Amino acid sequence: MVVDGFFITGAVICVLSSVICIAAAVIRQPPNDITILAVAAVELFLLAYGIAAIFRQLGGEPVAGEAWEFWGYWITALIVPIGAFWWSMLERSRWSNLVLGAVGLTIAVMLVRMEQIWDQAAAL
Amino acid sequence: MKAKLGNMTPSSPAARKPEAQHPEPHSASAAGHRSSGPGRLIVAVYGVFAISATARASYQIATKFSEAPVAYLLSAFAAVVYILATVALARKGLRWYWTSVAAISVELAGVLAVGLLSLLDPALLPEDTVWSGFGQGYGYVPLVLPLLGLWWLWRHRPGRGVVQ
Repeated sequence: MVVDGFFITGAVICVLSSVICIAAAVIRQPPNDITILAVAAVELFLLAYGIAAIFRQLGGEPVAGEAWEFWGYWITALIVPIGAFWWSMLERSRWSNLVLGAVGLTIAVMLVRMEQIWDQAAAL
Repeated sequence: MKAKLGNMTPSSPAARKPEAQHPEPHSASAAGHRSSGPGRLIVAVYGVFAISATARASYQIATKFSEAPVAYLLSAFAAVVYILATVALARKGLRWYWTSVAAISVELAGVLAVGLLSLLDPALLPEDTVWSGFGQGYGYVPLVLPLLGLWWLWRHRPGRGVVQ
């Protein structure tokens, strides 16, 4: 995997988002504007990452691995913050902030996989 | 809808604290609070595994099923177990309680059996599944998760809330 600007930006946003949400859970806060925005930032990054990927592909920089696998990961990743937000809103306790904190870590792992596919790595 | 759940918990943070720490004793039916408090996170982690196991199994079966049909069928089976566990943990009621106990027990048996098999006879299951090597490809979460899940279900076993 090539460590590029996309990866660094995404990794920083994901880790920050998780740290904020987990810290909020540690100090016994229910989900609030800050933790929800932290998760929204991850979703926004994913959208930007996907749009950038479309332009990169159109601009003659094709996915080295399986394109449909890359987009499969991307679509699945888009659902994760939304699902976590929905689940955390059903019961607004400190534990729901840990649910929100799991988003960043999950997306970070998926980002690594997407970057591997982009740069061509062995398939699963 | 379920959104009403949120309204039932006291809204001031001070009032919520004790409930977050001891989610079960206050409820008339302990089984109904499986997805409350720390249970939120357990359900969420199960949900992530349900999604990733399903995606992985679909990919393996769609692209290279003939290479290792047994391993990929096992992947699909693991995906079904995770989906069932997620849904059963999130739902209320006695039937869903025992469904979640069954699903998580199967999950534990699966990760132990497949882990042992991949250790004793690596040639038998040449392709990776979620449970290969006791789930080492997923940071051993597949091994820890069912233990955590069963412990959580034990703490929220039916009847416990009634006694209190």
